[in-house]
Order: sequence, then structure tokens, then C-alpha cells
Amino acid sequence: MPLIIKDEYPETLFRKDGKRLDGRDVNELRPIKMEVGVIKNADGSAYLEWGNNKIFAAVYGPREVHPHHLAKPDRGILRVFYRMATYSVFDRKRPAPGRREKEISMIISDCIEPLLFLELYPGTSFEIFIEVMDADGGTRCASTTVAALALADAGIPMKSLVSSIAVGKIDGKIVVDLSGIEDKAGNADLPIAITWYNEELSLLQFDGDMNLDELNDFLDIAKNALKDIHQIQLDALKSKYVKLQEETNKSKGKNEKKGDE
Amino acid sequence: MEQDEESVDDEFEDFEDDEEAIRDVVVPGEVLTEDVKNFLPGRGTILNKEKNKIISLNIGLKQIKKNYINVIPLRGFYTPRPGDKVMALVVDKNPVKYKCDINAKDFGQLKPKNTIKSGRTRGFRGGGPPQDDVNTEKFDIGDILVAKILSADRLNKPELTTVGKYLGKKTGGIIISIDPPKIPRVIGRNGSMIKMLKNLTKCNIFVTQNGRVWLKGENIAHERLLIESINKISSEAHTVGLTDRMQEYIINEKKKRGIE
Repeated sequence: MPLIIKDEYPETLFRKDGKRLDGRDVNELRPIKMEVGVIKNADGSAYLEWGNNKIFAAVYGPREVHPHHLAKPDRGILRVFYRMATYSVFDRKRPAPGRREKEISMIISDCIEPLLFLELYPGTSFEIFIEVMDADGGTRCASTTVAALALADAGIPMKSLVSSIAVGKIDGKIVVDLSGIEDKAGNADLPIAITWYNEELSLLQFDGDMNLDELNDFLDIAKNALKDIHQIQLDALKSKYVKLQEETNKSKGKNEKKGDE
Repeated sequence: MEQDEESVDDEFEDFEDDEEAIRDVVVPGEVLTEDVKNFLPGRGTILNKEKNKIISLNIGLKQIKKNYINVIPLRGFYTPRPGDKVMALVVDKNPVKYKCDINAKDFGQLKPKNTIKSGRTRGFRGGGPPQDDVNTEKFDIGDILVAKILSADRLNKPELTTVGKYLGKKTGGIIISIDPPKIPRVIGRNGSMIKMLKNLTKCNIFVTQNGRVWLKGENIAHERLLIESINKISSEAHTVGLTDRMQEYIINEKKKRGIE
């Protein structure tokens, strides 16, 4: 359930016991659930539940570029379509892609592009469709994370996965994984994405006010959280296959035992 | 075209070596080894920038062959290579060429000069000009062809031919599509899986590298069993002892469904 709050934010974003409004510690993530292979018609797909965010991603490609004039003769292109459903936020979101959606599509595309070998597929396009079904803060980070997962599920060669998280400052304290209300009422907000190949930052945006000296603290805290997210991504990709492997091994062991008897 | 359609393909060796060993599932970015002195990056892998780690590019199974580390993909798309046999669907035609859907990023091109019926020569010394229009085979939109890829690279559209053994138009039967990286598993080591499927379900099967399987059986019950079996193979492609398990499955299912 989204929080129903209209331009009225609570005076403090911490409870009396020192925890945040949703009961988390400053370094605690919201519960995350990831799944791959959820859309049958797509080449690769993934689904993510991150707190109250619910996001689908589908990947198609390599395939022909439409409109054709966007095709590059020397390399492929990566196109990202980030869309929010009309019912994903409290006020009805107008369905036409606006400034915000175009920006987020662009940053996700720029974030993932260095990991792909686009020069091997000239004249083609890879397309990622991201649908936000339910939004509660940090959808750009969640979308980047789920887009990387969908690309890996499609079997497109890539150097590594991308993980992303927002770090911020609320009531003077540095916290990870801002929820919707903390994002709006807090002091600062810093979305970060990291490519695990060489551990480079692939996205760094900033909004609000903070001290420049604090940036290193922000980055350290973010990196610890990102490692957890990366582990969840790896588990989501592997679990489907590993489970089946273990099952077959078990049944095989049983059969062998029967044969011995 | 009722020949014994055995598709023997030497290239399908990836899945088959030491089938009994359990292989690790790896994902993109996973470090396969840090021992770069003894191992070289093979298929589906890359060295990192500092050249001290070999990392995986695909979701797949880790395989060590001599001193190469390979990753056999579990998911992926078909990339045409010269010499591959493909199942093509004619989607467009004009006097110069046929356009064929071969499940790759580009359409395949089939020119009339590559459809000349076997057994006839195209012109000879002292003879008249080659009469292509007499000798060439004619196809229609919607036809299913088994074709061989003559040339393919990443820039140009792949060129096809229907001249050769087992190549040409397919009539009747059913075509199903599976993930192209799982095709080697449907064939099995030295064709063991496909032989087993043929014997047990009494169907004709023809498997091509672009992930399409043509099959035709005596009756619909057998064909249905075969389709379910192939889907099961494709979903369990990364497990060990698959051929034995499939044999058991088919025999059980036959009993259950009461078909011979």
C-alpha cells in the first residue's frame, strides 16, 4: 500500500526509538525479491519487488531498428523505455512519456551501455522495456538493477551486472535506500550505480544539499549496500538452474541406491 | 523426401564432454579464475582490464578444456555461421531473391542461382548459356525450407542455399522452436539422444542449429509426446544424465497414455 500523503510531510523522519518511519535502521535495505524469466514472449525478462516498488523488465534483441534512421552502421544501439503505469503513484500519472521518463530512460541506457559489446551487432538494436507497476521511491535505481538482470537472462554477452541504490541524508543522518517519503522530505538524495566489472561508478546523480566532505561517506555506505544487492541478483539468476541440478542429482542418487539393493 | 534424416553435426561437441561431471552455473561478471598463467580465456569469457582475472560473459556452465576456460551459454540468440543448416521460412520473394526468416537478427537471402536442382549442371563448355529459370526450384511465401548458410558475417545478410543433401522444401510435419543454445542437448553425444527419441516415439526428427526442430510421426499421440519431451530436454539442459532420464520418462509416459 502506498503512503497516502499529500504535500504534508511529518516533522521528523525518525521514530522515537531511533529507527526510520518504516522501522528500518539507517543501514538497512527494504526487502528485495527478484525473479527472472517471468515474461514468456520476451527474449529475457525479470521482475523486482523492492519495498513497495514493483517493476517488470523485458529485453528484446538483437533485432532490426525502427525507425530505421536510428540505426548505426558500425555498432548496435541500446534503447531503454522506462514507463510508469497510470496507477503506480497516488495521483494519476499521465500515460504520455514526459521529461522525467525520458531522462530516466537515458540514464539507464548510459549506465548499461559500457557493459555490452554493441560493436559486434552493427545495424541492430537491443531494447529494454521497463514497466513500473507500483512506485515508492528509488524507481530509477530499482529499474537499473532489474534491467541488468533481464539482459543477463536474455543471454546477451555482458561484462558484468549493474547494481544501483540511492543513498541520502534525512534529518542530518546518512541513510541508505530512501523510500518515497524520505526522498521527498529529506535533505539530500544520491542515486549510485556500479558496474562490477572493474567496480566503476556508472551513475551518479545528486539532488539536495550536503557537504562535499560527506560524499566519501555516502559512497562507502552505498558500496556495502550494493554488495548485498549484487548477491541477490546473482542468486536470482542462478537459483532457477541450480535448484533443478540439485533435484536431478538427488533423484539420480536414489535410483543408484535402488539399483544396489 | 522420405530419406533417413540423420543430422550428423560435428560442431555439436560443446555439451557432451564429461557429461557426468556437475558443472557450475556462472553468470555475467563472475570471476572464473585468477590463475591467468595456467588458463586462457576461451569462448564466452574475457580478461579484465588489469589482466589478472578471467570473467564470464554469459549465463552458462563453466567448462575447462585443456588450458582454456569456456562458458557454455544456457540462454542466447542464434548467430549464423557458414556451413550451418537452418530451418527457414520464406517471408517475401521477388525476381532476384527470396527473403527468409532464419531466427537471426537479419533475414537470410536465397538467390535463384543457389536453388538449382541437383543432378543438373549449370552450363558447360561448348554449351549454351545457363538456363537458370528452367533448373531453379520455385518456392512460395510461407514455405519451410531446410537451407545451408553459404556466407555470414556481422555486416552482411546471410546467404542461403538449398543445393545439397537433405536440403530443400519441407512438406508436412510440425515445427517447434527451442532456445538455440540447447540444440546440442537434443542431439546428444554422437546423436545418442536423437536416436533414442526416434526409436521410442517412432517419429522422424530433423534438428537445425537455429533452434527449430521439424518432426513428423505416425499419429498425433506420438508427436505430442515427442514435443513434450523436447521441451523437457530444453528446460533441463544443464543437468547430468539427461539421456537416461529422458528414456525413463518416455517409457513411463507411453505406459500412462497407453500408446505403443
